[in-house]
Amino acid sequence: MSKRSVDAVFQGLYLLTDIRGMLRDTVPHHHLSVEQKKEAEKILGKLEKQVAILKEELLA
Amino acid sequence: MNCGEGIDTRQIDELFINLDPIQAGGRLTTDAMKAVLAYGDGYSVCDHCTKPFRLDHISKPPLAEFHRDLASFLNMDVARLVPGARRGFQAVASALVKPGDPVLLTAYSHYTEFLSVEQSRGMAFEIPANDSHIITPDGAAARIEEVSKTTGKTPALMFIEQVDYQYGNQHPVSDLIKVAHQYDIPVLCNGAYTIGIMDVNGKELGADFLVGSGHKSMAAPAPSGVLATTSEWAETVFRTTGIKGDLTGRTFGVKEVEMMGCTLMGVTSVGMMASFPHVKRRVKEFDAQVQYVNRIVDALLTIEGTKVQSEYPRKHTLTRMNTTDSFDTVARTHKKKGFFLTSALRERGIAGILAGSTRVWKFNSYGITSEQADYIAESFIEIAEKEGLACSR
Repeated sequence: MSKRSVDAVFQGLYLLTDIRGMLRDTVPHHHLSVEQKKEAEKILGKLEKQVAILKEELLA
Repeated sequence: MNCGEGIDTRQIDELFINLDPIQAGGRLTTDAMKAVLAYGDGYSVCDHCTKPFRLDHISKPPLAEFHRDLASFLNMDVARLVPGARRGFQAVASALVKPGDPVLLTAYSHYTEFLSVEQSRGMAFEIPANDSHIITPDGAAARIEEVSKTTGKTPALMFIEQVDYQYGNQHPVSDLIKVAHQYDIPVLCNGAYTIGIMDVNGKELGADFLVGSGHKSMAAPAPSGVLATTSEWAETVFRTTGIKGDLTGRTFGVKEVEMMGCTLMGVTSVGMMASFPHVKRRVKEFDAQVQYVNRIVDALLTIEGTKVQSEYPRKHTLTRMNTTDSFDTVARTHKKKGFFLTSALRERGIAGILAGSTRVWKFNSYGITSEQADYIAESFIEIAEKEGLACSR
């Protein structure tokens, strides 16, 4: 059992959900404010980490 | 893009400002969307269900605490989760109404309130609205007198809407309840458009039963809702089972009869619970939402011939407009006929108004930002001007 990969899947889904929330908040044009862009950048960075964990756990 | 065979991915709220009258308050929070991901499996809240095996006793996830918090949020004594407001109406009618009993509803009662009376074999009597589309205490008193006289019985229950679905008008619930109580009639206050959107205080209103909708106004998945009551009525509406199998001798613990045992055993209750902290905060910000809707209505009223049929200035975001003498005049000759308006709105990223409507239509702007309110207001005027309608801005 790879608890680490399961956690990474959920963390990844939650981070994507935060992006989804951001898209909802900014309809219809999705013009992100400076703060929102910073937040999106942070979320995407974290998402990349979760994807890296999954590659490490499942593909190594 | 499909999310299952033949099932398109729904992206309305990611692509459009959604003004659908029944969808605005039920749009999920991001926490609820996360809860949906984690608790989508069938009986997902039952992993740690132990004696006495009832939803409102489960402590992991914290449903027991959520039930207590819900009651306190509404300032009522006891609350239960129900699969939609309609199941709350059904539970109360089933507990209180006997065959042949008269029951009072209003000219704006939801059809499921009627069906709950019908299922209990009661007789439905409506309290009329006045010319301003408001249910008044005088109207209620007159109908109670009349119904009591003609049927020879005091009504077993009265349903009233805090905000109705047709006009989005606020009715004087507290005064209506006072009238009903003078005749010893218990009152169910339908808060499907208020609980989770506005501050609702059950004790202050004097309600015997408060019913809310999770999927309409509490940012929760469907079907979900809440039925709250006072300690006086809790034993009646939440009576526990006493039945016994005649062959097996089986009994069924503390399952509640009107609830049909456990109610929301998975994603609905957890989604509702995940949104709850946000809901508690957002009800304090309702005034801003009222300002936004008034900004949109004010803009619409600058278009010559446009009328607002709901009470105005608006006190709620659900609003009924009449554009028979404005947008409908365009529809008569437009190549897209009545669809030109919703089509033009959609081109601007605004959805949710019934396609083809140019006469009487409703919208609900709940949940928008100040910038989005300005954008919607400007879009209506822009469409009107493009189609040659006179605007007085």
